[in-house]
Amino acid sequence: MRINPNMVPDILAAIQGTQSQETTALEQLSTGKRVNKPSDDPAASAEMVQNQVLSGQVDQYTTDASGVLDMMHTVDSSLSAVVTSVNQAISVGTEGANSTVTTSQRQAMAQQVQGIFASVLNAANLSYNGSYLFGGTASTAAPYAADSNSSTGYKYNGNEDVNTVQIGAGFDLQTNLPGDQLFSNSGSDLLGSLNQLATALQSGTTTDIANATQQVTAGLNYLTQQRVFYGNAMSQINAQETFLSQETVNLKSQANTLIGADATQAATMLSQAQTANSAVLSAAAKIMPETLLDYLPTTLG
Amino acid sequence: MSLNTSLIVAMQSLLAEQGALDATTNNIANVNTPGYTRELPVLSEAPATQYANYSMGNGVVLEQFQSIRDQILEQRIQQVTQQNAGAQAQTNALQQVETLFTSNGSDIGSEMSALFNSIMQLQTDPANMSLRQGILSAGQNLATAFHTTAAGIAQVQGGMNLQVTQDVGQINQLAQEIAPLNVQLANLKALGQDGGTVEDQLNVLLGKLSGLTNVNVTQTESGVTLTTGNGTALVVGGQSFALQTATGSDGMTHVLDSSGTDITPAIQNGDLGGTLQVRDTTLPGLTNQLNTLASQFASAFNTAHEGGFDLNGQAGVAFFSGPSTGSGSAANFSVAITDPALIAASSDGSAGSNGNITNLIAVQNAKLPAGSSPIDGYANIVFAAGVASANAQAQTSATSMSLQQLNDQRSAISGVSINEESTNLIRYQQAFAAAAKVISTIDQLNADVLNMIS
Repeated sequence: MRINPNMVPDILAAIQGTQSQETTALEQLSTGKRVNKPSDDPAASAEMVQNQVLSGQVDQYTTDASGVLDMMHTVDSSLSAVVTSVNQAISVGTEGANSTVTTSQRQAMAQQVQGIFASVLNAANLSYNGSYLFGGTASTAAPYAADSNSSTGYKYNGNEDVNTVQIGAGFDLQTNLPGDQLFSNSGSDLLGSLNQLATALQSGTTTDIANATQQVTAGLNYLTQQRVFYGNAMSQINAQETFLSQETVNLKSQANTLIGADATQAATMLSQAQTANSAVLSAAAKIMPETLLDYLPTTLG
Repeated sequence: MSLNTSLIVAMQSLLAEQGALDATTNNIANVNTPGYTRELPVLSEAPATQYANYSMGNGVVLEQFQSIRDQILEQRIQQVTQQNAGAQAQTNALQQVETLFTSNGSDIGSEMSALFNSIMQLQTDPANMSLRQGILSAGQNLATAFHTTAAGIAQVQGGMNLQVTQDVGQINQLAQEIAPLNVQLANLKALGQDGGTVEDQLNVLLGKLSGLTNVNVTQTESGVTLTTGNGTALVVGGQSFALQTATGSDGMTHVLDSSGTDITPAIQNGDLGGTLQVRDTTLPGLTNQLNTLASQFASAFNTAHEGGFDLNGQAGVAFFSGPSTGSGSAANFSVAITDPALIAASSDGSAGSNGNITNLIAVQNAKLPAGSSPIDGYANIVFAAGVASANAQAQTSATSMSLQQLNDQRSAISGVSINEESTNLIRYQQAFAAAAKVISTIDQLNADVLNMIS
């Protein structure tokens, strides 16, 4: 059989082949990615769309969770201050119920309790980044206003709705308690009882004062119970943050498996392609110029 | 046998060897000419002279030059060239298209994800105007991504119309060049002569034609008959038939035969066939998927949005606008509202409520009527674009390899070998020199005879 006398197309194809391997290896090494366009691996590219969406979500969950956590820290320290001052009111009330206390002393006490009422009312109007935290979902206006016409001494302008924030797939965390569950619950009305105590100190009997003090204590207990909600939420967020950072790692490792280039493999591929390329080039350089003419006497050539 | 006879035999030998040297020279001259098939001098014995008791040979005759070719192999090469050119055209176009679906931060997937993330952020502070503005911007970015992608595909399709016109022009040009050669070749064959250069040229032109469209070659008495598509004649004998182009009602350039019949769908391979395949099947498929995604996503998102209340306590209005179904949904996808206060985050009408955001976020993972979630729907399009391009690339490299092998085979049969020609050069030179020696010897003999007389 006659063999193909023209090796040039094959040599060119071989050089092109090794050069394209070099380019691929170089691309993988420089980008760190095995998949640089959808046709490199259509299935992995499609999965990467999901992966990128999920990592975006996890980043957003993390941002939102930390925002909510900051907000709850503010709520918690504010409630803690409320507890301290209400405790003060209770000791004032307990002292005021004592029959040895003079009227003028009671007047001073009443003023002190009124001051505490005002500070709790102020705390109940706590705002964070411009939105009020204890008005239910009516967060654009202060939920509580002092109202001397009302028997309770205040007016609640908020509603009873709650907001949730998604901080994980299917994890909706309730982020607020409406003020009427904390400060003005119909069963144990903290603000109302403080107002009542002030009134009792001003003009009531010692029994009135003792009763009112009891009411304040009940209100405080209720507030303390409700405050656990924020503690729980914060610990849930902390746990979720740990989970999310683990999830970020998982997603990154999944992305790397899907489209990442194995640096060792790419480097090996590059050096193999280089070797093959120089082998082809040197073989071509050796073979191509050789013909019978090189060996014939010059009389012919 | 006289001395003169010997002289004539020797002279014929000189002529024959010189002819053989001509063939060698021509072969060496055309060693790099594309489509050239090497020629062999066909030498045969001259008819012998019969004498009473013996017959005497009359030397050598150069009968003809024969081109060494395998016609079946040539046809196989033409077929694979058609497939290869078709795959190559698809690869070129689809590689442009797939970049539209490469994740680069501003593709549809990234922008869709950014939109939902900006909505999730609003959960923490639902009345915050800058967060709301962020959602509007993210929505506009998503719209831009839909526009860019749809326009990118349309642009490639538009470029392909130009390609169709150019291809058809080249096909017509080639058919015109082939027709006269076809007649010449038929005449040569009718005389029993070798096709030689004419056949080489014809094969080169057929190779070029194969790079453009599917060509069916039928051998007839009057040369080859070339048809494309489902039997549309390009060349019959000495006559060529020009294809035409016309813009169809779909705005695309269609291919018509010489009598004006639309043969666009019948053209299969070659650059024209590959181009039409991508333009009329692959890309419309992607555009349809994109339009379905855009319209169904907009409708699902609007439904969720309309279920909530805006910052002013009013019921939510449509967030996205655009055709509710079918074509143009991606190209006309847009954000319907400009006032960030109109974003319906609230579920109870109060400004601080974020209750409807859960419903908006849920759109991301809820199945659209097409059967998958918006993100999965987009991932499917990425997959489709990637697979189409990867298949075209695989087809290109597979046909390139088989084309290379076929060309190697062709070269093994028809290619010029410098070594072989050098060897022949020596052979013919030696024979020529020997014949010349014979002539001078006979000349000497004649002189000797004349000397005998004097």
